[in-house]
Amino acid sequence: MTMDRGLTYSCGVCERTFAYDIPSCPWCGEALTRNVSGPSTVISVTRVETPSIGHEEVPYWCALAADTEGRRALHKLETEALVGQVLDTTADEGSGGRAGIIGTGVMGRGLAELLLTLGWSVVIVSRDATRAARIASAVLARLERVMDEVEIAAAGARLVTTDDLSVLQSCDVVVEAVAEDLSIKKAVLAQAEPHVRPDALLVTNTSGLELDAMAAVLEHPERFGALHFFNPVVRMRLVEISGSNQTSPDTIDALEHLAIRLGKTPIRVKARPAFVVNRILMPLIGEAIRSLEEGAADAEHIDEAVRLGLNHPMGPLALADLIGLDVVLEITENMRQQTGDEAYAPRPTLIRMVAENQLGKKTGRGFFDYS
Amino acid sequence: VSGAWVMGIGKTKFGPTQKSTLHLAHEAIIAALDDAGIGPDELDAIVVANFLGGPNEGQLHLNSVVAGLFPDLHIPAWRVESACASGGVAVHNAVALLGTYPRILVVGVERMSDVGGLQLTRNIAMAGDRLLDQTVGLTFPASYALVAQAHMTEHGTTLGDLDLVSLKNHANARLNPLAHFSHKTVTLTEIEAGPTIASPLRLYDCCPVSDGAAAVVLSSTPGSSSRDIAITGSAVAVDAISLAQRRTLTGFPAAAEAARKAYAQAGITPADVDLVEVHDCFTIAEIVAMSDLGLASPAEALRMIRNGETYPEGALPVNASGGLKAGGHAIGATGVGQICELVKQLRGEASSRQVLRARRAVAHNVGGVGGSCAVHVLEGRS
Repeated sequence: MTMDRGLTYSCGVCERTFAYDIPSCPWCGEALTRNVSGPSTVISVTRVETPSIGHEEVPYWCALAADTEGRRALHKLETEALVGQVLDTTADEGSGGRAGIIGTGVMGRGLAELLLTLGWSVVIVSRDATRAARIASAVLARLERVMDEVEIAAAGARLVTTDDLSVLQSCDVVVEAVAEDLSIKKAVLAQAEPHVRPDALLVTNTSGLELDAMAAVLEHPERFGALHFFNPVVRMRLVEISGSNQTSPDTIDALEHLAIRLGKTPIRVKARPAFVVNRILMPLIGEAIRSLEEGAADAEHIDEAVRLGLNHPMGPLALADLIGLDVVLEITENMRQQTGDEAYAPRPTLIRMVAENQLGKKTGRGFFDYS
Repeated sequence: VSGAWVMGIGKTKFGPTQKSTLHLAHEAIIAALDDAGIGPDELDAIVVANFLGGPNEGQLHLNSVVAGLFPDLHIPAWRVESACASGGVAVHNAVALLGTYPRILVVGVERMSDVGGLQLTRNIAMAGDRLLDQTVGLTFPASYALVAQAHMTEHGTTLGDLDLVSLKNHANARLNPLAHFSHKTVTLTEIEAGPTIASPLRLYDCCPVSDGAAAVVLSSTPGSSSRDIAITGSAVAVDAISLAQRRTLTGFPAAAEAARKAYAQAGITPADVDLVEVHDCFTIAEIVAMSDLGLASPAEALRMIRNGETYPEGALPVNASGGLKAGGHAIGATGVGQICELVKQLRGEASSRQVLRARRAVAHNVGGVGGSCAVHVLEGRS
């Protein structure tokens, strides 16, 4: 559940105003009118210097502002504001836009779930229409945890699955979430681009493949960039944001704004192999596998040591199982090829396990047994 | 109030401790029962006040947990949570129910020192509206910082005024052995040098986080002891919690309403009040409390503070105990602890911090930034 800041609801009879989108006026029983606040003037403001969970980065500013009708709202700002200053607090009309997702893997599904939860309309495109339809019902089934039947039906009406790329013309943003393979991504982006409106954002969810190479196949590379979401998309707060050498600064700003609208914390990173998180994670997993190969301890104890010693919520081997060992191998190989650094070479045990189809949680067996 | 007397009081020291929730509750309860001169089997009901047992300790259902102190005593007990006003609301709850349960034990307890800073700040912020306040990082200090900022704009309040409130309450705490900062002398220089928490509030504008417990035994009939103190007014009023839903920042309408009702029950006016314990979770809150309780206009409150009139020997002693600011804020225990303190004062048992001519006293306990307010009027026997 989220809140549209700058929206209030008032009763035409008793003229009371409410901060919530409630079904009716508790006093009069009347339906409420929705008010969209325009620019608002700061009444009081504080510079917060103490961090808390959810607000770790300080300082930030909390401002109470009122619009010309006297409707008040609180705002979090990253820059200083003064009493009397006018803020542009105009609410986004309707929280949801329309997004296209190409790909039906775990990231595509997670992104669809997130967007539907936030009120967006979603188009899922797959080469296989039957598969896309099956994925759609799986996504809607996930929503049962957080929505009632009426809301799920409404979400279902906002979800379209197709094998026809031309449907993407209706989308404000199109996200490519196909396999983490540069040649596949290049081909998909080149095929999709003619169907993406010139004013729409074209986004890849790569975890760190070469953005310049992807941009090179596009007619309008300036509106193309990367939003690297993390699995599970609904829960993980980080989004890595990056662009190619042709991405415009406006596009980077728009990507950042989009990530914030989706409730995420965006971090801008340089377009280098595996960005930041995977660049650090893959060697960590590699060293955990090496520790296993060298008999430092068994898998369970290696993970426990890292959890307790580094204060990680999950050990590297269990995390590798969750990500999928094939994906770990793919990213590691990409890192080695892009950097030319043999230090990133995948460990022999990883290569062997993938060859034996021990891919982690999804096959029931990886470093740990899930059967 | 048809008949409510405080028969017994008990309070632990407020401040960090290794003692468990139940250990703290035990200490306050046994002291209150001993003070009342009764045994647990003479109680008809127990009310437990607590705010953050859930998020801080994973411990809810404290009424049943506290019942563990009295095996085989199957009397009714329930837990009251109204953020930082949990204690005051619990006392009001008990007063209102004395017709059904003639003798009620109210115990407030809180443990906060185990939880890390980031988590604790978030947990306390749970008193705010999740969607309107928490999502924009409006922590507890930030809420009161907005109040302070507005007070400065509207009434010309200065940092120097806030310093004086802090200085007085720290000085008072030195005379209160149960205060969080009873051991610590705080100078104006230290107060002025405190780092900013949420501008304009600095470290010494904020109350500490304390562990502690406080208990009172209430009775519907006065005992034979002249030490029994009457509760002549008891009121609770609430308001929407988010400052975005209010029309004013420099006063809490719920506190003013609770005060109006409590005074009417007691048949008094603010001029009849000899001393007050107010909810100074932040220095600015003490100034706001003085006007909400009708004791002074904002301008008069500032004048009184500048003239030292709110010291224990002044015309209107405010927080002779050290308040929350220096006495400590063991959240669920705070409102109950205020009653304990005033009972001591009205009995003339407050030793070195005794206020002279203490006959009528008011306790003012606030949850969130004016969302829940409890006001009690107590009268000693003349």
